[in-house]
Amino acid sequence: MESPPTKQTTAQATLVPPPPPPARENPVKRFLGRLKASPATKIRRRKAMNAKIHKNLGWLKLLLFIVGYVWMLVIPYPDLGRKTYSDENALQPAQVHTSYNWGDVRKADKYLEGLESLVAANATSERIATHLSDEFAKLGLLTATQAYNLSTTNDLSSGVNTYAILRSPRISGAEAILVGASWLSRTGEGDGTLNLRGVSTVLSIASFLRRSSHWAKDIIFVVSDGYMDGMQAFLTTYHGQTQSNIQAQPLRHSSGVIWTAMAIDYPAHSFSHLGVFHEALNGRLPNADLLHSFQLISRYAGGVPVIMYDHLDWREHPALRKQFDWVTPKWLPRSIRDRKELKTFAYHARNVWRHWGYQARGKASGIHGLMRQYRIDAFTMFALPAVGPHGFHAIGKTIESTLRTMNNLLERLHASVFFYTLTAPDRFIKIGNYLPSAVIVSVAMMFTGLGFWVDAGWERILVPGGKALAIGGKALAIGETAFRGEDRWKQRSRPVLAVLMIMALTHALGGALYTLCTTAVFLQNIPILLPLISLLIFGVPIILSSFIAPSASSQISKTLQALNLSFASTIISITTVLNFSLAALLCALLGLPLALGSSAAPTRSSPSSSGYPLKYPVYTLYALLGYGFLTLGLLYSPNLVVQAIQGGVRDWEAFGVWFVPLFCGVYVPLVVQAGVVVLLA
Amino acid sequence: MSATTRTTTTTKGLGVSLGATLSTITALRICLAFTKDVSTYLQYEQLLSSPLTSYTRLQEGLFLFNHDVDPYSGGLFYHSPLYLSIFSTIIPNSRFIASLLWTFADALGAWALVQIWRARQGVSSPTSRDSLVAVSYLLNPYTLLPSLALSTSSLENTLTLLAIMLASQRLHSPSLLALALLITLNPSSILLLAPVLLLLAHPTGPKSNLASPSTGSVLTTPLLKKTVLPLFAEFFAYIAVLVGASALTSGGWSWVGQNVFAGVLLPDLTPNTGLWWYFFTEMFDHFRPFFLMVFTMHLLIYIAPICVKFQHDPLFATLLLQGILGTFKAYPTLADPGLFIAMVSVFPEIYSHLRHPIVTTLLHIHAALLLPLFNHLWLAHGAGNANFFYASTLVFACANGAGVLDCLWAGLRVGIEKLSTGEKASEDVEEEWTVVQE
Amino acid sequence: MKSLCFTALILSLITPAWTTTPTEQFYEELSFRNLKDGRVATRFSFKTVLNGSVPRDPSTLGQEDQSQHYRLFPLAMGQILREYALTELHLTLNAGNWDYDRWGYLDEPSVGTGAELWTWMADGAPSSIDERWEGTRNALGGLFCSSLGGLNDKRTTSPESVFRPEGDLPDWGKPHRLRHASLASENVCTENLTPFIKLLPCKALSGIATLLNPHRLFDADWHGLGVHVVWNEHTGVEISLVIQAVLNPFRFSQEKTIEWSFNSLFKKQVERQCPIASASTLSVSFPAGESWSLEPQGSKSEGGVSLYDLAQAQYPFDLQAKASTDLSTSVHEDFKPPLRVQRALNGPSQAYGRLSVSFSNTGAAPVQALYLETMPWLVQFYLHTLTASANGTENGELLSHIQYTPAVPHGKPATVQLEVHVPAYTEVLLTMEVAKSFLRYTDHPPDAQRGWDLPPAVVIPFLVEQNSSSNAISLRKLPRMYTNSLLVDLATPDFSMPYNVIIFTCSLIAFLFGSVFNMLTRNFVVVSLKDDSETEKP
Repeated sequence: MESPPTKQTTAQATLVPPPPPPARENPVKRFLGRLKASPATKIRRRKAMNAKIHKNLGWLKLLLFIVGYVWMLVIPYPDLGRKTYSDENALQPAQVHTSYNWGDVRKADKYLEGLESLVAANATSERIATHLSDEFAKLGLLTATQAYNLSTTNDLSSGVNTYAILRSPRISGAEAILVGASWLSRTGEGDGTLNLRGVSTVLSIASFLRRSSHWAKDIIFVVSDGYMDGMQAFLTTYHGQTQSNIQAQPLRHSSGVIWTAMAIDYPAHSFSHLGVFHEALNGRLPNADLLHSFQLISRYAGGVPVIMYDHLDWREHPALRKQFDWVTPKWLPRSIRDRKELKTFAYHARNVWRHWGYQARGKASGIHGLMRQYRIDAFTMFALPAVGPHGFHAIGKTIESTLRTMNNLLERLHASVFFYTLTAPDRFIKIGNYLPSAVIVSVAMMFTGLGFWVDAGWERILVPGGKALAIGGKALAIGETAFRGEDRWKQRSRPVLAVLMIMALTHALGGALYTLCTTAVFLQNIPILLPLISLLIFGVPIILSSFIAPSASSQISKTLQALNLSFASTIISITTVLNFSLAALLCALLGLPLALGSSAAPTRSSPSSSGYPLKYPVYTLYALLGYGFLTLGLLYSPNLVVQAIQGGVRDWEAFGVWFVPLFCGVYVPLVVQAGVVVLLA
Repeated sequence: MSATTRTTTTTKGLGVSLGATLSTITALRICLAFTKDVSTYLQYEQLLSSPLTSYTRLQEGLFLFNHDVDPYSGGLFYHSPLYLSIFSTIIPNSRFIASLLWTFADALGAWALVQIWRARQGVSSPTSRDSLVAVSYLLNPYTLLPSLALSTSSLENTLTLLAIMLASQRLHSPSLLALALLITLNPSSILLLAPVLLLLAHPTGPKSNLASPSTGSVLTTPLLKKTVLPLFAEFFAYIAVLVGASALTSGGWSWVGQNVFAGVLLPDLTPNTGLWWYFFTEMFDHFRPFFLMVFTMHLLIYIAPICVKFQHDPLFATLLLQGILGTFKAYPTLADPGLFIAMVSVFPEIYSHLRHPIVTTLLHIHAALLLPLFNHLWLAHGAGNANFFYASTLVFACANGAGVLDCLWAGLRVGIEKLSTGEKASEDVEEEWTVVQE
Repeated sequence: MKSLCFTALILSLITPAWTTTPTEQFYEELSFRNLKDGRVATRFSFKTVLNGSVPRDPSTLGQEDQSQHYRLFPLAMGQILREYALTELHLTLNAGNWDYDRWGYLDEPSVGTGAELWTWMADGAPSSIDERWEGTRNALGGLFCSSLGGLNDKRTTSPESVFRPEGDLPDWGKPHRLRHASLASENVCTENLTPFIKLLPCKALSGIATLLNPHRLFDADWHGLGVHVVWNEHTGVEISLVIQAVLNPFRFSQEKTIEWSFNSLFKKQVERQCPIASASTLSVSFPAGESWSLEPQGSKSEGGVSLYDLAQAQYPFDLQAKASTDLSTSVHEDFKPPLRVQRALNGPSQAYGRLSVSFSNTGAAPVQALYLETMPWLVQFYLHTLTASANGTENGELLSHIQYTPAVPHGKPATVQLEVHVPAYTEVLLTMEVAKSFLRYTDHPPDAQRGWDLPPAVVIPFLVEQNSSSNAISLRKLPRMYTNSLLVDLATPDFSMPYNVIIFTCSLIAFLFGSVFNMLTRNFVVVSLKDDSETEKP
């Protein structure tokens, strides 16, 4: 290498003459000619193509948006999903002969009487816990109670858990199954309905299991106090975690790794269906094999039909039609409303909607939801209150058979999917069939952002016609639009640093909002402080944006919108994997609104033109979309908003639900940025 | 990356003096160190510290070393014995002191980077971009977070910057010493040896010759003989001394296998941001040695071409090789690509020619968000499996590779521009002329 | 047949070996312990003593061994012992987790879950200790149909201060060495019992061995087989085969009265006595303060223990035991152990975790505990994070004499051995951060998602006794205890991916490599775009 290449470079960097026009007559020749076209020709083609793409970018974006949103709407459509199936062959659901018999039912009734008498004498948590623990002890199980208290910013709850461990014969006790029941039923998210039958079921199951010797895992029975808090306290202590706001007694007895768990919720006298609740914290889900096995077992071993949540299938219960009117409105002609597909669609839609409700907010739909963070696959079986026909016997058999299935496991549940959407107890949608919808929307946003990015990088300058014509006639640099007449485009650099500053500021604003929201003062007088804070967030951008020189503003606005859209699209496309419902929500709230941003403004306004009239109304709309709706909600029904905010903050502090931080730190700032875009446009 | 740097062409710095920037940021970090011990939260983050740079493992090694157990006899400690000697003698081993030390190391690194920038501009007085350059290193999340996690890669970054700075200030022996120290601490940095030697030997030193490739193409036999060889000899002497010192401290040669060859034999398959770990987790046993050889060769193969092509601007060659390291080395952390990105701020002349800056930036944003998420999804939540995290490392590799390609293209492209346009403003010419590689 | 015996007799008469053939005795002993919670802990022990014999000197391993003639001593074991010149050998196969709180100690301390094998052998053989260890492993594995081959170098340690020899060690001028290994995931079943019974002189045809009914034995809450060979200077080589089980007589019965018989426990009874047993005894013991009625009565009974001499018993022999008191089902800590030891591996992450061991001393006397943790390299210790806290307050003085050998990846396990001082009425908590290894995909077992069983740790409590007269403090060593075994999750790669990973990674690298060199090597040209665009139009 004694003659370095750079020399050649400089030497050869000479002008290449324009290529001779390729032969016209023969299409084949012409094609070949195109193949071996000179660089110039190739580049010209490429540029022309880019120009075309950029010209039609608008249509492309529109198409993507439409496809994405429509896809989201049709997710409940039956043909999109498929029947659930079992991937893990070891499970063998409903393959065993169950022996939970009427003797055990009688025991359950006895336990129930005991509990009811305690409740009638309105005994304290300690009293109840010691009673339960004595009952377990009589069965010869290792048992103890655990007092805890959980304190959050504006709330303090305390109680006493009871747990018992059945050491199964002949095993090392390195693996365990958990059977849990919370003292409060999940009815109305723990509105005070007692789960007495659930607890007595647990007791009778314990006394029943003690008699058999074929258990390959220890079985842990937990009766957790309160609705969620008790189980949270138990689980954190069991796994040796320390949560700063939980003080709980250490556990005297301990067992092995918990792989699977089930929570029993049996509030009323008897039940007609068993409902499956499976959403865990922060939108995580248990392995699909578990739910599939349970619905098989319940049908064939327990003889109880399974439903999603507490949703009865209105195709079997026409009385419930009105619950579905929001999907199939009355004004639709009967011929359409009664179509089978539409009915199924409506049923699925209701389930999916409920599912999204839990997942998007990151809420757990029961105590099972607290376990996923410790890699425990769990679900809650909810005995739907009814006047029959089922009772302890059916649920006992179901539980026994489910335990046998869990007992069969040789490995953690890993075969089947963790990312899915249940549309019905026996139907689910694979991730591949719903994920793309949100991704497509985010791609559309990304394109929009890139479009603005390109625009921000070019400015139109008027030049004397002569020179323009001398040069003119061609679409040029990438992203350049079709080129008209005498004005031409000049590349200019984008004020990215300033824009990044603005974005950083908005996110700082969000951080401040978060710190405010988690103070006791705020949580106690939301109705007063919320409007004030909203006003603050509304005002700050207006004031700050007034400092920006109008000459720079339009370009800053474009660049800001570009980065804002790109960032939002990134957030969405990443969230899709972790928590699709949240991503869908963000798509709906951010997708079009952010993209439409400054489109109300005269596009590519030359520095001279001064803003546009609609500025402040549009900005206000953004404010409403971002945070204003809460204040509006105050006018509508204060309690709802107050409870929503307090609940959200409590979920974050007690169970680490990410919704509130995300809302404050990501969502609000993004919308505020969009507002700033409008202000500066 | 390029989004931030691109701006710097227009915005004339932050208008804040270097001293102010350094002191404020350092002060903030010190306050942080006083208030809360961040490192305990981040100590096990696999993105921030690899087995070779983890502070926890360093402490384990020190503990064993102080209790007369050979730390290299186990499978947990891969640091160089020099760390042992330093932390067991000079520096008291406590997290608080360490966080202070890491803070100052970062400040020093930023200062060195600014010195490099000034040397490249040929000025000794403060310039308007100083604070921007400093910030690009101090507040760059890729370099900041590992430093908060007390990953020793931050210290190695500082050493790298010091070596380059001294080299661009023509202080032969100090820079060679720093380089030798760096390479004994982190053998894979051997890639930077050639360009730094060139930088020392080069007549115009760190000055930017990108625009005029023909000038100062120095790679001639006499120069190699006259200047580079002695430099190399001196460097080798330092290495010999340091190796001897290591052998003395660790009282044996067991560290050679654990420390020097760790980057080649990949004894620990703990996930990191690089491409090696999953490849060799999934590799068939009988192909393992072959592919280990291939991957190591692949790293070394970049040295010669880049140094030859950019012999007129060795500092730029250093930048590119740092980028290669950040992308392809065996145990990378975020700090390695971080150093590359920070160093880009020293080369404003290339920004206008970066190929697809926005694409690279978006790739980086995606990767930066995906990496931690998928790492936790796999290891903590147990929902996603290893492929998720592997995929995100692929995205990250794409981002880093794209960054290197951008700079490479721009660095070459700058050389053409002048010639093609002559005195005309480049924008006008854009329309009728364009420059391509045939 | 008879002639054959005759010739054998003649041969044995004329061979000098006869004179050296030591006399042999066989003792069988059966004991029942009624536990508070209604279970019955039973122990079968068959001991054969080879009077005046000595283990083989390893230095003679090179040359021909003297011929072996045993009448009662199991030949298979004898061959193994001499083949590898083992001085002392202990093998136990246990299933279940021993509950010290309820079941207390048996006189047989090795109750750790899974398989455990340890031997003392002298050095000085032509073949190395480890080769002989490996041979012993495989031979025993073959003999007892269990996968003792799994007790390989990745599991083998030599904690000589914890597993002291239980007999005497002959002095050949060469040091004796210990090899110990345990495998928690190995469990015991019928296929191990059958060869075990084959080693008994009376097989299962007569004597107490008749009761060994696999269907009942292996249905017990806890059961284990043990083989112990020790050399006693005065008597000679002793081999004792032990079977223990904790039976649950009323798992199926609903009524609360405790009542059992051989028949109800084993569905068997002792048909006839083992004629060659020098002594066969039976002992039944009761928890304090409970009165029991036994049928037939014992020959003599003292301190809640009644003894039988089965030589005088009339056959078929069945024992009926019935408690006058009802079953008191509340959990009693009948045999208060000197220490409660609980071990757990916490942390949801598959990359790191925290090992925490709690020693709680409920007694009035302080306890000094020798703690031995043997960990395969799958889990690696951060020893500098080891902390001890008494009732929540950290206190470094509680730990002393820490010995640590780090684990070698794909090689030998780590061992931590330390002494914990547990004051009276306190709970001492040890915690240590650990790193979980990331394995190659070929290192994972077929059921990779289950995780790995970690062997139980061993604790030897010493009661600190201070006699009032002189303030001399004496340590009374108690039998060793075993903690529960653990299950650790290791991160698994996707086992279906190797080709995809190779393809993806390689193509990415190739792409970047290609484009870099592309740019470096190709030349720049300046192209004119200024010509008319007619060429573009079709």
